[in-house]
Amino acid sequence: MPLSTQSQADDEQYVLVASLDNARCLSNILKAITFKDHAIFSATPNGLKVTVEDSKCLQANAFIQAEIFQEFTIREDLVGFQVNLTVLLDCLNIFGGSTVPGVSTALRMCYRGYGYPLTLFLEEGGVVTVCKINTQEPEEPIDFEFCSTNVTNKVILLSESLKEAFSELDMTSEVLQITMSPSQPYFRLSTFGNSGNAHYDYPKDSDMMELFRCTKTQTNRYKMSLLKPSTKALALSCKVSVRTDSRGFLSLQYLVRNDDGQICFVEFYCCPDEEVE
Amino acid sequence: MDCLLEGNCVKAFGKAVHALSRIGDELWLDPMVRGVSSTKQRWKGNSLALRSVNSAHSAYACFLFSPLFFQHYSLGPVSEQGSETIKCKLLMKSVLPLFRCLTSIERNVERCQISISTPSDRVIIQFFCRHGITKTHNLSFQESEALQAVFASHLCPNVLKAPARLLGDMVMHFPVSQEEITLSMTPLSVSLRNYYEGGNDHMKTMYTEMSLHLDEFDYFQVGVDSDITFCLKELRGLLSFAETHCLPVSVHFGAAGRPVCFSVEDMVLEATVVLATLIDSESTGPSQQTETLAPTTPRCAEAAVLPVGSCEANSRKHQGVPAVMELIPSSQGSPIISPPALMLLVPQTDNPNGLGEPDEACASATTTPASSTICSLLFRALSSEQDSDGCAARLPVLAYYSDGEENMEEDYTRSPSL
Repeated sequence: MPLSTQSQADDEQYVLVASLDNARCLSNILKAITFKDHAIFSATPNGLKVTVEDSKCLQANAFIQAEIFQEFTIREDLVGFQVNLTVLLDCLNIFGGSTVPGVSTALRMCYRGYGYPLTLFLEEGGVVTVCKINTQEPEEPIDFEFCSTNVTNKVILLSESLKEAFSELDMTSEVLQITMSPSQPYFRLSTFGNSGNAHYDYPKDSDMMELFRCTKTQTNRYKMSLLKPSTKALALSCKVSVRTDSRGFLSLQYLVRNDDGQICFVEFYCCPDEEVE
Repeated sequence: MDCLLEGNCVKAFGKAVHALSRIGDELWLDPMVRGVSSTKQRWKGNSLALRSVNSAHSAYACFLFSPLFFQHYSLGPVSEQGSETIKCKLLMKSVLPLFRCLTSIERNVERCQISISTPSDRVIIQFFCRHGITKTHNLSFQESEALQAVFASHLCPNVLKAPARLLGDMVMHFPVSQEEITLSMTPLSVSLRNYYEGGNDHMKTMYTEMSLHLDEFDYFQVGVDSDITFCLKELRGLLSFAETHCLPVSVHFGAAGRPVCFSVEDMVLEATVVLATLIDSESTGPSQQTETLAPTTPRCAEAAVLPVGSCEANSRKHQGVPAVMELIPSSQGSPIISPPALMLLVPQTDNPNGLGEPDEACASATTTPASSTICSLLFRALSSEQDSDGCAARLPVLAYYSDGEENMEEDYTRSPSL
């Protein structure tokens, strides 16, 4: 494969080299968080984290562990940069995203460091494309201070039960209200739209409910426009954990299995719209 | 009103909503104390009617569900006024999304409960799904008069009963964009062809015509040779419903200009679509049709604008209405209906006196050149305390609802107009 013929010497100039035999492992996950143009990339020896934020109220993170990559070399403890995510995705799909089995785009992503562009070497069927995407100074991602010790309510649901609900959500409702409680209705999604309101109830003993740990009744509202993008991540995932903390902040964690059966995570943090008792 | 539907019936109910959504933007939900179906089947017990009408009042559909359709059906506590049941009108765009994906309903929904809550002015539709999941929708409704079309199908001279798929298979040959089609019946055959407006387009239009021998039908009755032109789009929902449920479709019609009624029924439900037909559709070839119809094939005007007296002879009775027709295109592009057959429901505004002389109005209507007069279907509200001027009762209704059937002779050779 042409990409592997690059000499060792070239590699030493890069602080980060990440290779994938199938670029879709990366592009699919990134699609799930592409609701804004810019993304912050943070690479550590553990792997790659891509962060997208919206109006300081919503943060989405995609985690791709080092083990997912065929090659993952990092010469610093933390490598960070910001790129235009839409452009990156266009490059990853530059060969048109064919779904013919056995045909995939191979990727070698290289970064020389601060001030240098992100270089992508993409190959499919013997054709190689080199893309260089300008990078920017990475912004500091918001710390939502969401820690597991502060979590009041947590459920883990199988994604298939939520997929339908999310695709049917009344978009004329400005908010999505989430109620979690140790008693009825246990876990409820509510919308308040032009035609009326709707409630989706998931009982704690449903076979779609893998884990139910609610300590206190909480009802919180979140802007629909902020949560609607999470539907893409939901569509890719097989399980989702929904957690709220004492402040009403929401954490959605999606377990995504890629084409090769490996696991990646996508998480969303969202601030509540207002306190509702 | 409170009813419970189980699995398969939820899907049928959803399909009915789909068919009704092809007709109009609003859905009338009408629990009835004693359901009377127009095919003389009287169901014992309470039933539920779902109805819709298009804005031009040239298409009407009704799905009537017998008590057997439901696992449980009750009208709930009787209000102070007596045995009045609440009748509500919902926006189609509020209801249709709930039943949009029928395959997912089939897969996931075990039961559906529909109830009307008067104190909160809400219709509550609750889906009990697999895995214990419950979806509850509280839809706001508008209280409304019941909507009902007055049409006695048993008085129609022509009747066709087609096996379930036949009509569906026939209309499949017309493009989805085809607005109107013409159905012709002679003692030998039935044919369907596309209808187009005259003018320059006829060189670019593709003609499609298919004929069937009358033997293809389960039953037929040829009272008069006729060609009727009606809107196909509004019918497709019912045909799809019939196909899904393998129900034969009955067609009752008469001469051009009289409305046509398509209906299906089984043990637990009955569905009817009544469509206006274009007046003066010729049975001759398309080119001739162009010439005769070009000046007179305007689209149906907005119903609310047209009182009966739009006929020239009656213009004096309806001041303020121009004697010459002003044609306002209907959003649905529906065809026009002839006056002798039908009269208009107007929340009677300007001229109650005019309407109080119905016999004269109608008699003159039959003599005016049909091509210059435009009216639309009458939808007569079920008689209620609001019928203050009493005129509605005196209007010579040309087609009675089945309640009046005992007074009518079943004589197919007799002309439907009085």
